[in-house]
Amino acid sequence: MIMKKIFFFLTLISVVSVGTAQTPTPAKPQEKAIALIGGVAHLGNGQVIANSIVAFDKGKLTIVADATTARADLSGYEQINVQGKHIYPGFILPNSQIGLAEVSSIRAMNDATERGDLNPNVRALISYNTDSEYGPTFRYNGVLLAETTPTGGLISGSSSLMEMDGWNWEDAVHTADNALHLNWPPQIRRQFDFNTFTVNDAPNRDYDKQVMALHQLMADAQAYAQQAQRETNLKLEAVQPLFSGQRVLMVHADEPKEIVEAVRFGQKFGVKKITVVGGYGAPGVAQFLKENNIPVILASTHNLPNRADEDIDTPYKLPYLLQQAGVQVSLSQDGALHGARNLGFFAGTAVAYGVDKEEALKMITSNTAKALGVEARVGTLEAGKDATLFVSQGDALDYRSNSLTHAFIRGKAITLRNHQNELYERYAKKYGQMK
Amino acid sequence: MLMIKRILTLTLVLSLAGLAAWAQETFPRNDVKDSRAGLYAFTNATLVVDPQTTLTNATLLIKGERIEQVGANLAVPKGYTVIDCKGKFIYPSLIDIYTSYGLPEVERPRGGGFNRTEQIEPRNKGPYNANQAIRAHYNAADEFTVNAKAAEEWRKLGFGTVLTFKADGLARGTAAAVALTEQTENKNIIKARASAHYSFNKGSSTQDYPSSMMGYVAVLRQTYLDAEWFGAQNPRPFTDQSLEAWIQNQKLPQIFDAANWMGVLRADKIADEFGVRYIIKGGGDEYKRINDIKATGASFIVPVDFPEAYDVEDPYDAARTSLQDMKHWELAPTNLAALEKAGITFAITANGLKKVSDFMPNVRKAMENGLSEAAALKALTTTPAQMLQIDGQVGSLKKGMLASFLVTSGKIFDDKTIIHQNWIIGQPFALKSVDLRNFSGQYDLSVNNQNYKLEVSGEAGSHKAKVKVNDSTTVDATATFGNNLITLSFKPQKNSSNSVRLSGWSDDKGFKGKGQLADGAWINWSATRTGDLTAKGPDKKDAAPKKDEPGKVLYPFMAHGTTALPAVETLLIKNATVWTNEQEGILQNTDVLLKDGKIARIGKNLSEPGAKVVDGTGKHLTAGIIDEHSHIGALSINDVATNSGMVRIGDNIDAEDINIYQALGGGVVAVQVLHGSANPIGGQSGLIKLRWGETPENYKIAGADGFIKFALGENVKRSSNPQSIRYPQTRMGVEQVYVDAFTSAREYEKKWAAYNALPAAQKTAAAKPRRDLAEEAILEILNKKRFISCHSYVQSEINMLMKVAEQFNFRVNTFTHILEGYKVADKMKQHGVAASSFSDWWNYKWEVRYAIPYNAAILHNAGVVTAINSDDAEMGRRLNQEAAKSVKYGGMSEEDALKMVTLNPAKMLHLDGQMGSIKVGKSADVVLWSDHPLSVYAKAEKTIIDGKVYFDIEVDRQRNREIEVERARLVQKMIGVKKGGAPTQRPEPRQRVNFHCDDVLGVEHTEED
Repeated sequence: MIMKKIFFFLTLISVVSVGTAQTPTPAKPQEKAIALIGGVAHLGNGQVIANSIVAFDKGKLTIVADATTARADLSGYEQINVQGKHIYPGFILPNSQIGLAEVSSIRAMNDATERGDLNPNVRALISYNTDSEYGPTFRYNGVLLAETTPTGGLISGSSSLMEMDGWNWEDAVHTADNALHLNWPPQIRRQFDFNTFTVNDAPNRDYDKQVMALHQLMADAQAYAQQAQRETNLKLEAVQPLFSGQRVLMVHADEPKEIVEAVRFGQKFGVKKITVVGGYGAPGVAQFLKENNIPVILASTHNLPNRADEDIDTPYKLPYLLQQAGVQVSLSQDGALHGARNLGFFAGTAVAYGVDKEEALKMITSNTAKALGVEARVGTLEAGKDATLFVSQGDALDYRSNSLTHAFIRGKAITLRNHQNELYERYAKKYGQMK
Repeated sequence: MLMIKRILTLTLVLSLAGLAAWAQETFPRNDVKDSRAGLYAFTNATLVVDPQTTLTNATLLIKGERIEQVGANLAVPKGYTVIDCKGKFIYPSLIDIYTSYGLPEVERPRGGGFNRTEQIEPRNKGPYNANQAIRAHYNAADEFTVNAKAAEEWRKLGFGTVLTFKADGLARGTAAAVALTEQTENKNIIKARASAHYSFNKGSSTQDYPSSMMGYVAVLRQTYLDAEWFGAQNPRPFTDQSLEAWIQNQKLPQIFDAANWMGVLRADKIADEFGVRYIIKGGGDEYKRINDIKATGASFIVPVDFPEAYDVEDPYDAARTSLQDMKHWELAPTNLAALEKAGITFAITANGLKKVSDFMPNVRKAMENGLSEAAALKALTTTPAQMLQIDGQVGSLKKGMLASFLVTSGKIFDDKTIIHQNWIIGQPFALKSVDLRNFSGQYDLSVNNQNYKLEVSGEAGSHKAKVKVNDSTTVDATATFGNNLITLSFKPQKNSSNSVRLSGWSDDKGFKGKGQLADGAWINWSATRTGDLTAKGPDKKDAAPKKDEPGKVLYPFMAHGTTALPAVETLLIKNATVWTNEQEGILQNTDVLLKDGKIARIGKNLSEPGAKVVDGTGKHLTAGIIDEHSHIGALSINDVATNSGMVRIGDNIDAEDINIYQALGGGVVAVQVLHGSANPIGGQSGLIKLRWGETPENYKIAGADGFIKFALGENVKRSSNPQSIRYPQTRMGVEQVYVDAFTSAREYEKKWAAYNALPAAQKTAAAKPRRDLAEEAILEILNKKRFISCHSYVQSEINMLMKVAEQFNFRVNTFTHILEGYKVADKMKQHGVAASSFSDWWNYKWEVRYAIPYNAAILHNAGVVTAINSDDAEMGRRLNQEAAKSVKYGGMSEEDALKMVTLNPAKMLHLDGQMGSIKVGKSADVVLWSDHPLSVYAKAEKTIIDGKVYFDIEVDRQRNREIEVERARLVQKMIGVKKGGAPTQRPEPRQRVNFHCDDVLGVEHTEED
């Protein structure tokens, strides 16, 4: 029955079809104040309001309150009844190549990796393509913000948090250059052996050299800041915001020892904000991470264990294991970009393997905002924050009930249409499956 | 006597190496003639004639290269040099029949990879086989060159004869049995073409095909067929020196390098098909499946290259070492005992040892683990000789055989035994003098009138010395004892670095000589023997060490394996929500009885005596998940010939793929292991049930129809490789490949029909057509005995293949991936093809730009039988979730969505008569879910196949704990070994690769498909 309803709804929104297989026109700024009445509000901070008022104006949340007790003046608000539906802060996708890589097998469509090992000065948002066809498909499932992130080398460059709507990168950017991405060199490298058709682990012979290069960059950057007379150095300039805390140092590391080395490296140079990305082996050093207050952004948890000996559910259990150990966890997606629209379901899986539902929601909203250093504006439904949120027919973490009726980015009512539902309608109509 | 002993000193022996009596008559001479009779008598020996026969007080007479007489109390005729072997043992020299001694190194095989120009044809000089990996024409004897240094290494270990071959190619040509002397190659070769060799390794071949394990099997099978066809024709249709040699080589012992237990079973299948008997070189892991190994009936050549312990002191680093490797470290030394116990005939080889000097210690290690002395000796003497049919020449000590034997101080495998001499085809090689004097005892040592006590301990040849300076102080001395001379130095004062350095000679009473003190003064010294060493109590080390019980063999032999395979259970699942996939739909509060491997009853309030009751309250029972498109459970998935119809996934099922167990954990019961998408015509599928722990053959679904992979589009035109020259390069060419293949297959059929229709008399005279495994696979498609699952993306090519099939009067069975199927859903319905799609993948390459997650729903609504597949081990264990996406995208009913991963794939694989729904009489292949099966919150709690519980969430939890415990035990054991001084290795584990369609031999691609 529920399913039929959802189907019905889908056909409803299809009536307001854009008409061509293009990325939808960006939304206009919020024109009038809106109040969502009666929905189950999941605030993203662990709290739920079963019967809520969520109101916003000029792109900012103005009221987030319990409808059964609160007295709110809603005059001037367009009221939308969302009774029985669920309201969530927009999901935030960290560590993504959204806007940088489109059809990944085509070289010309890849803008994520600059040549060279040390690229602190390159900035992802410069390549960011607002016409990427991925964005609208992300929004369809509730992913409204994404960190566009360069890849490759030891230091890939800086990422920016983007809104999944906008005319151009200046328009779409939420927070420019929020983090600098460091790929901590692995101590062990995997290589393919043609004699046995297996992958084997071999020591990374360049490890010491690579670590030395990183140390030198940071030390030189610190010295550079002290130099009265200096020739401008773009790379050393780009490192400076790490020392002031303006930029997060995202250390990409998976093995326990590498995580410790990478964090200690950042701390040694007085980096104010450090986040671990990847984190497969983080449960092994959870105490270290907790004591040093280091959040972890896990790579895709819809994954296989790294090793045959491990519990087959290891990737599914990572969020629970870390959260239990007191580490702040976020979820992300790696691999082919099309899969990132399933971010909410990664949180669903975390629930299946022990995490409380609202805690799991934090892992794709407020925790992520904190890990990216953007928590002042997004990540929760709280008055004063951006009105970046959506309404779902049901539980947005489960396949069965994730079905959006409304989505807003800074109060802008955005369409949930994309070229995929247009193609669907075109052919469903062709075969008489849809009128 | 004295004179004879002197002959045995090393210097003299070396001069014997060029004895004229042995010299080859035809060779030029560069000296005066030095012809000797070569008559030797070895008397008073314990003579081991062969592993069953030992003579005491025996005499061995040799003349030149051969043995003249062997027996107890033989009279020694005049003219013989007599060697008194009292207290000594004589053994046949050892034989290793798996070496590359005296042959050049094999060129390293090139790396694989996509991005290079293909080599379609062989690059041989000369009229050789169409496949470069068939090197049957190679003869090791042609290249064999005596290698004095290597020969000495072998001789030191006691070897006298080795078989040498070049480990290059699938067919490696012939090996030579050679003696290990330093004479000419002409004299050393005992048998020039002693055996023919085969493997699952293409070696130095640069030709693209075959590039997978299943391709190796296909090439070997085709070559057997080709040789039969070629050999039956006179005159030959063309010259092929490889086939010619292959035919000749069939008369020789056939030795197959199988690498590991799965390879053994694979080689055995080929042996059965072509009626050959292989002597199989195993991997030393036969213990893992000893019963299956025994059932092959083959004899074996087995290595003793036991792995070193891993360095596991750091827990983080230790995590990288797999339980599989750790357990193999512990159990590898038990392998030979397991073979002996099972009554399997085996020879032992030093092959694979990093240090050849580890050979004897490792054989002893095997003996400590239960291998008997007789079996060890047999495996190094008579068995290898018999395998090569040279047991009339070497391997035992009988009249007329080659004089290749060892003179030892004791039993050959005893760790204190010294090999004094190794005689090889009548040539003596002294290793340690036979008459070493034993100086052990107590002495009064007098140095420049200072008195000390000297104690000499140990065996002759390995003495140690200590000097007692006073009653409370004993110091170690450095001493060297020759039979006549002694060197001794020691520090009279413990805390001083001043040494007294002595040199001298032995006499009846002890030693005498001159020496220098620390200040350089020359002095006289003597040591007078006063008596034997006082006997010590039993050495604590020798007291029977408490042997800890090694761990058990697991099936499969890795983490998550079991000690016992699951049995069929009678299970009564009570009060569950049952998704029947039948007209009954979803039944609430229903019981299902599983009995004798079948679904026996469905109803309310069922009871069954003796049944194990499972409470299904709040749980959901569904048919097991079936994945139409999977690449788990195979060693390789892609070969590279444009038409690879001859390769079969079923030839390389990997029973040790952890992905199988992980899939069970996701409720998967069966998968079609498809060939990859590198070619328009791929290989034949393997349909398997996930019977974790079974052998590769037992994974297969008995009686299942044959399927084959076709592929269209970017992969088959090699779009990702700008260097590619392989036909086809366009979708136009792809169509022509098919039209050509089907046309050719019809011709092939006609040719055979014509031949088969000939009257018997004419048939024998007529040339039999050549059997072609690729043509046969295509012909099966035309004759509706094999069914196509075709990788496809864009509408034009989907349409094309349907038209080609219609032209040849058959139907495509399934389009797999079929991401633009929604654009031609009506045509597909009309053709009658099924669709097996991804749920929501798109844009990872150009041809999937217009893939939409609504594809499955549109196809389903158009009446096409539709499934959701994985092509990916990760997604393959969440197929229930992938099916759920069609409810979200396209509004499919939940019941229909679940059918897309159960009943519908069963239909596509023609298995719906026995699987895919919960219906009385069908196979008990079901899953019990903790929650609604389309929910992200659902977990498979039990996955049942054939009525056997292959996955149970509780057992899994327990097993995780057991893995921890077993790992910890082995870690402790390894640390113990490391502390005991044994070498260890870094944990550098090997893992298999998770394959996708695009992978050629594990070359992983970033694109998923």
